[in-house]
Amino acid sequence: MVMANVQEDKLQLLRDILLVDDREVANAVNQRLEVITETIEKREKLSEKVDPIIKERLDQFITEIPSTLGPTITKALQEQIKNSQDQVVEALYPIMGKMIKRYVQNEIKRLSETINKKVSNTFSFSSIKRKFKSKVTGVKESDLILVEADPPVINEIFVIQKGSGILLGNLSKTETLDKDMVSGMLTAIKSFVEDAFGGGSQNLEAIEYELYTLHIQNFFSYYIAVVVSGNYTRSFESKIENKLLKLSQKLSPKVSHLSREEIDRFLETFFEKWK
Amino acid sequence: MEITKKIVILGQFGVGKTSITRRYLSDIFEKDYMPTLGVQIKKKVIELPSGNLLSMIIWDLEGFAKVARTRASYLLGSNGFIYVFDITRPFTFEHLDEEIAFIKEKYPQVVFKVVGNKKDEKDPNEIQAYLDKKNIKIDAFVSAKTGEGIQKLFTDLANTFGT
Repeated sequence: MVMANVQEDKLQLLRDILLVDDREVANAVNQRLEVITETIEKREKLSEKVDPIIKERLDQFITEIPSTLGPTITKALQEQIKNSQDQVVEALYPIMGKMIKRYVQNEIKRLSETINKKVSNTFSFSSIKRKFKSKVTGVKESDLILVEADPPVINEIFVIQKGSGILLGNLSKTETLDKDMVSGMLTAIKSFVEDAFGGGSQNLEAIEYELYTLHIQNFFSYYIAVVVSGNYTRSFESKIENKLLKLSQKLSPKVSHLSREEIDRFLETFFEKWK
Repeated sequence: MEITKKIVILGQFGVGKTSITRRYLSDIFEKDYMPTLGVQIKKKVIELPSGNLLSMIIWDLEGFAKVARTRASYLLGSNGFIYVFDITRPFTFEHLDEEIAFIKEKYPQVVFKVVGNKKDEKDPNEIQAYLDKKNIKIDAFVSAKTGEGIQKLFTDLANTFGT
C-alpha cells in the first residue's frame, strides 16, 4: 500500500513537472502570438516596426536608381520619344513657347535699355555724330540706334552661277553644310519663286528666315547671296549693294576663267577689311 | 583640280529617278514609292581617270508627263541629262522618240543618256522590237532595285566630261 502511494506521488510529481512546463510554454507562446497579432493588425504598431526598414530600403533604392534603373529609363524614354515624336513636340511646345517668350522679353528689355542709354546721352559725341549721319544719309535716327544696338554681321557669301546653281566661290565662317548643295537648293528656290511669282524677268532679291536675312544680288552670269545676321536695315542693304557692285566690277571680267579656289581667295581679300 | 557639273534626272512619275539616284549615291533601295516634290539636290565627288575630281551636282526632279512641262529654269546650265523610263509601263516610253527629239533640239550641248529602269521585273528584249521599230537607241537597261548598270551609267556620263 505504501509502495503504491509512493508510486502515485512520483507520477504526480512527474505530471506536475511536465504539465506545468507545458502550460507555461503555451502561455508564453500565446502571449507572444497576441503581441504579434496586435502588431500586424494595428497599423500604428506595424508602422512602428516596418517603417524604419522600408525607409532604409527606399533610401538605398533611391541611391541606386541612377546605376540600376538609369539605363532602362533612358532607353524607354528614347524609344518613347522616337515612337511618338509628334506627341512629345506637342507636350514640349507650350514649355518651349514660354521659354522663348521669356528669352525674347529679356532681349527686348536689354535692347530697350541700350536704346534708352543711347538716347539719354543726347549731347555725347556719338549722339551728335549719329544725328549728323541721319541728316546726311536720310536714314532715321531710330534706325541708326537699332543698328548700333544689334549690328548686322555678314556670315556667309556665295557666288553662284545663274541657272546651273553651281557654286563658283564662297566665303564662310562656318563649315556646317555642304556649300554645293546649299547653292543648288538656293538656286532651285530662286528659280521656283521667280517662275511662280516673277511676272516676267524679275529676280528674287531677299529671303528672310528667323534671325537671318539672305541678301541676293543678281549679275549677268552669276548672282551673289549674302547671309546676314543682326539688324538688316535699308542703310545696310544699300551698303552691301554698293560693296557687291564694286566686287562685280572686279570679278565679272574674269569670273569665267577663275577656279573656285581663286574666287574663294578673291572674296577673302575683298571682304578682309570689311569684316 | 576639281570640276563641277550639273546632272539632271528626267522622266515620268514613278519610273525610278529617285531610286536610281539613291542607288548610285548610297547603294540603297527602298521599295516604298515616295513621289519627289519639286527637286532634290544631291552631290557626289568621283575621281576621273586623269586624277581630276568631278563633283556631280545631281538634280532629281519630280516627274512630268513631258519634258516640255518640266520647269525650264531647273534645266538651265545643265551639263548632263539622264532620261529614265519604266520598261514595265509602256506609257512611260511610248512617246520616247518625241522626248528625245525635244531634248536634242532644246539642249543640244547637254550630254544625254536614256535608260530603261526595272529590268529586274521584265526582260528588256520584250520591248526591244518596239524600240527598234521606232528607231530609238537606248544607252542602258538598268535596275535600281538590284543596282545593275547604275554605277556604269554614271561613270560613262562622268567620263564624257573629259579630263
